[in-house]
Amino acid sequence: MQGVLSFRGKVIRVIIYILLIFLAVVTIYPILYVILGSFKSNMELLLGGANIFPKQFILDNYIEAWEKANFSVYTRNSFIIATGVMFLSLLVSSMAGYVFARSHFKGKDALYNLFLIFMFINVGSIAIRPLFELAAKTHLDSSLTVIIIIATGMGQTTYIFLMTGNIKAIPTEIDEAARIDGCSFFSTFWRVILPIIKPAIATVAILSFRSGWNQYILPNVFTMTNPGLRPLTVGVVLLKSSGDGAAAWNIMFAGSAMSIIPIILVYIIFSKYFISGSTAGAVKG
Amino acid sequence: MKGQTNVLDRSRKREAFLMLLPSVLLLILVSIYPFIWMFRYVFYDYNGFVSYFVGMDNFKRGLKDQYFLNAVLHTFEYAFWKLIIVIPLALILGYILTWKMRGMRLFQGVYFMPTIISSAISGMIFYFIFSPFNGVLNGILRSINPSRPAVDWLGNSQIVMYSVVAVAIWGGFGNYITLMMSGFLGIPHDLYESARIDGANEATIFFRITLPMLGPVLKVVLTIAITTAFKDYEMILVLTQGGPNHRTDVMFSYIYQMAFGTAPGAPSQLGYAATLSLYAAVIVGIITVIFTRLTRNMDDIQ
Repeated sequence: MQGVLSFRGKVIRVIIYILLIFLAVVTIYPILYVILGSFKSNMELLLGGANIFPKQFILDNYIEAWEKANFSVYTRNSFIIATGVMFLSLLVSSMAGYVFARSHFKGKDALYNLFLIFMFINVGSIAIRPLFELAAKTHLDSSLTVIIIIATGMGQTTYIFLMTGNIKAIPTEIDEAARIDGCSFFSTFWRVILPIIKPAIATVAILSFRSGWNQYILPNVFTMTNPGLRPLTVGVVLLKSSGDGAAAWNIMFAGSAMSIIPIILVYIIFSKYFISGSTAGAVKG
Repeated sequence: MKGQTNVLDRSRKREAFLMLLPSVLLLILVSIYPFIWMFRYVFYDYNGFVSYFVGMDNFKRGLKDQYFLNAVLHTFEYAFWKLIIVIPLALILGYILTWKMRGMRLFQGVYFMPTIISSAISGMIFYFIFSPFNGVLNGILRSINPSRPAVDWLGNSQIVMYSVVAVAIWGGFGNYITLMMSGFLGIPHDLYESARIDGANEATIFFRITLPMLGPVLKVVLTIAITTAFKDYEMILVLTQGGPNHRTDVMFSYIYQMAFGTAPGAPSQLGYAATLSLYAAVIVGIITVIFTRLTRNMDDIQ
């Protein structure tokens, strides 16, 4: 595909571009449809049709969702869960990654494998039930903290492996030098290693933020009797099943858009880390 | 001097232990404890309030539960269609996107975008799009051919599985493109050069060099794709709730409704759901083992 192209080469190139553009349109259309649809009036949404652009842009759906349908609370909860999962995942996985990469103790490999095994054993949603019972018994079920802790635990293994791999790639001489300078194990990690693995930190931050923001099953189970703790995902889906049906289409559109827009903005800014993150866990692990 | 290093070593060990502790506690809490809990309740009838020991009854019931057996079949059906489309698509696109042509990064960025959206919200988006009367898909079809009757994408049991699979492909293919790309980019460039000098054409190079060299990566990608396809259920739960008439029940969506009693008129049956979860985990495990056995020689590059 280099240099001067023959006529046949040019034709092939044009065909490939047409296919790529067609696929890009198909991919992005549903997202645009919901975001643009959230500015349509409910009447226009109920009439349907092929037009993706609103006849006139209105903000009423957002105002209604925000003020009457509790979406201010849902949005706040989504942000709390996402940032909570992000910070806790960063803390837990970077520390564990450092220990796995640098410390030597009996049973380290066995422990590492235990993490690996439980990444593959997946019993699905049933695992949430004992945690819910535990939370109810300890009266922790009425706060977002427990959702944050569990979501972090469910995602931590990938991040730990990612951190371990990145820290292993740093020459151990750096640790030795810090040690001779009088750094303890932890302060070597905190002052020397963490600044070096900034790209890995960014990747884990992005991936865990997204995972926290997108949680659905877990908060759905934990907030069945506690509407004040619902994130956007749970709030929007409940509108669908609540039987309001047609009356709530505009709020469902606005709510879905509220859930999509922030994460897409984060993606547009940090797409590099999203994309590198998706391969980091798979190919290195 | 020796005593001092021992003290230092011990304090470093203690620091390491404390730093590892949070992740180990989380592993015990979130993975190991529920796993043990599940193995207890497979022998119980448990509605969330009271439980009775029932021995092997749940296991026997699972083998005779027509809805569950169908859900297992649907899981295979769903995984089959998803994989048969996603893998070749990702392979071809991943290959094209590694060419040095303008705009390839942008295309990759666009294809990847659906993967960052919650699968629950993806279910919502396509609930709107597939809506028979005011959904945009029928809107577009009507604008092409006004006499065409509306298609009930989610209500027609002949069609609904394909609708669900289409959403799954939309939501996942960007991820597999990216994985394939990293595989293609990892193939040493001089291999291509020497093949070209030997006079091989592009097609020969692709089938004789690129694909075999991709083997190990392809195996990892396939493993991820297969296990993911068997475990998908969130989007389905939101989009169809397993309906119409259980047509899109997959193992884990059926189990979810059994466990949390979200199906209309059905109370929680946690012990039975635990048993079915065990069955499902075993099925996914067997698939993974069979796949690993079958593809053992994909790791050898000659």
